[in-house]
Amino acid sequence: MNLSKLLILASAMSVSATAFAAGAHSDGHGMGSGEPGKASEASRTITVEMYDNYYEPETIEVKAGETVRFVVENKGNLVHEFNIGTPSMHEAHQEEMMMMVEHGVIQGGKLNRDMMEMDMGNGHSMKHDDPNSVLLEPGESQEIVWTFTGKGNIEFACNVPGHYQAGMYGEVNFK
Amino acid sequence: MKTRLVTALLCLLMPALALAGEYDLTVDRVKIDTGDFVKEGIGYNGKSPGPVMRFKEGENVRINVTNNLDEMTSIHWHGLILPFEQDGVPGISYPGIKPGETFTYEFPIVQAGTYWFHSHSGFQEPDGAFGAIVIEPEGREPFRYDREYVVQLTDKHPHSGDRIMRNLKMMPDYYNRQQQTVGEFFSEASQNGLMDTIRDRMAWGDMRMMKADVEDVQGFTGMINGMGPEQNWTGLFEPGERIRLRFINSSAMTYFDVRIPGMEMTVVQADGNNVRPVNVDEFRIGVAETYDVIVRPKDAQAYTIFAESMGRSGYARATLAPEEGMAAPVPQMRDAARLTMADMSGMPGMDHGDMDHGDMAAQGDMDHSNMSEMDHSAMMAGTSDPFYAKGSGIAPTAANGGKFLSYADLKAQKPLYEEREPTREIELRLTGNMERYTWSINGVKYEDADPIRLKYGERVRFKFVNETMMTHPMHLHGMWSILDVGAGEWNPIKHTVSVQPGTTVYMETEVDAPGQWAFHCHLSYHAAAGMFRKVIVEGGPDSTQAKTEATTEVGGDA
Repeated sequence: MNLSKLLILASAMSVSATAFAAGAHSDGHGMGSGEPGKASEASRTITVEMYDNYYEPETIEVKAGETVRFVVENKGNLVHEFNIGTPSMHEAHQEEMMMMVEHGVIQGGKLNRDMMEMDMGNGHSMKHDDPNSVLLEPGESQEIVWTFTGKGNIEFACNVPGHYQAGMYGEVNFK
Repeated sequence: MKTRLVTALLCLLMPALALAGEYDLTVDRVKIDTGDFVKEGIGYNGKSPGPVMRFKEGENVRINVTNNLDEMTSIHWHGLILPFEQDGVPGISYPGIKPGETFTYEFPIVQAGTYWFHSHSGFQEPDGAFGAIVIEPEGREPFRYDREYVVQLTDKHPHSGDRIMRNLKMMPDYYNRQQQTVGEFFSEASQNGLMDTIRDRMAWGDMRMMKADVEDVQGFTGMINGMGPEQNWTGLFEPGERIRLRFINSSAMTYFDVRIPGMEMTVVQADGNNVRPVNVDEFRIGVAETYDVIVRPKDAQAYTIFAESMGRSGYARATLAPEEGMAAPVPQMRDAARLTMADMSGMPGMDHGDMDHGDMAAQGDMDHSNMSEMDHSAMMAGTSDPFYAKGSGIAPTAANGGKFLSYADLKAQKPLYEEREPTREIELRLTGNMERYTWSINGVKYEDADPIRLKYGERVRFKFVNETMMTHPMHLHGMWSILDVGAGEWNPIKHTVSVQPGTTVYMETEVDAPGQWAFHCHLSYHAAAGMFRKVIVEGGPDSTQAKTEATTEVGGDA
């Protein structure tokens, strides 16, 4: 039972890695959400506070090509994510997050980081290390530097099960 | 000019005086048309259900209720925290409202969320005397939506409440249409062996019950917002919007299993209180409970809101659609659930030795690698929800094999009270004799029982032991029921707690509201038969402080 679930999870992870790669490196196709940026190129810093279960602010404005440094702070009582992506990227990621909950990696206000490091075979793990997102326990804070390469339908979202659906997302508007 | 100035000055002072809203309700005889039949009933402002009362947290409300009936009436504000004289239970809060009289309720709104109101007199509530309450919070909601609808369910019966009660007293299985047939006996015998089947039937005979007793009042038409399945209440949306659906079960007797085929639902509130969001495919709503869910239809198509009764004797149906007149397929009802011996395990005198759950244990040993083709959730359902007896025949499963909400999934979004040890435990056995249609608590019906006495400032742990084979939605007025789901300080707070047959459920109550209150099973005919208690809270805050201050005091070592 456990073994088969882990295998499903591992394969889902590999699928998502592909999906992310497709998203992140598809400049010019208007499909991705952008790419990791260099801190030295960041034009400004935006602080995003995460509460149970919403962001402040819920809308940000960027210019196409702009690099932004985000300081993300979890001010809630639950684990939250800040993830920059298209709605379909978020949807795919929600399945992975569901498995992280089912495996006890995310438990309400706690993250089991040891389990995230666990080798699940074929070089897969439940590490949450995509460059377009951070996953934080209450009280934690982390930075993301992101370049918004082209206009598109981009949201920042928390894909912890139920959070996005309940409205924990924000809009990225292009000037 | 001068008066203008005075008005302006008054406006500046207004915040100090707090918001005050005045509302009028009339209690009227009304016609109720279910699409299957038309009957006379009772409603508010000329209709059943009555209006949606919209309040704002922090507001002081004055509600003038005029009784246009030729009998006494009352209105109870279900789930609202208020002074006990305003709670609307005749004989406990006040005498009630006489024919032709107007009674003015006056109380502060100290909470937010989805609630409802109903008559607490006789069988006026099953006869249609109910409506919805929606309270907007002072701050922001911890979720977002683009539009909202109240979805108020009921089980409208062609018989009046008085007549149903008379019939049940005369013949408790009067409305139980799903008694097992001779044919079922033989098919069971061929599956389980003749002797086992006979033994099973004899055991049920000893209990004076039938396996089909999941619902004791059948023959109703399920309604949503006053419309039957054919009349098809419809809520409009634009694709991509998030819609908040405020489900309220105002049934007299019926639990509903609710789903929207093709759409996931995210539960964000239970009984008016925010819970950590849970994605589900289906949920069971007990009588008097409320659940708020957020759905997001992405396509420009119609979706059916389908609510089958727990015993599958009827259903309610409504539609979400981008345009009026669109409809989606209406599913067939699933097969009726049957109680099992496990559901009777709480009954005294049962020989538990006969009830080994060997078949359940065997599942644990199975080779799961070969089960990929099987429906895991359906298989495991009997054991998966800790709020049903192991091997229960009525533990729910989702129609699509997905996630069915359990009480165990409910966690408070933000605890209302500080966690502390209860000061004492009170055991309440839920008891009854189906043969005589008597329902009681600890074997004593309301008329013969002493009140439950609580002390202001204590935290009481209630232990419900369900010794009957029916589900009882227990409702304590005036104070919150902190349901023990094993989550400590994150246990959800509710106003109505369902106790399944053969199970023991715990809830705790911070005794923070002086006065006297009702505490009862919310199945109308069970409450009327005697599964009901008066609760007296002795003592109170020293001064006449505001309620909120009193509440914080309770958090200390009172």
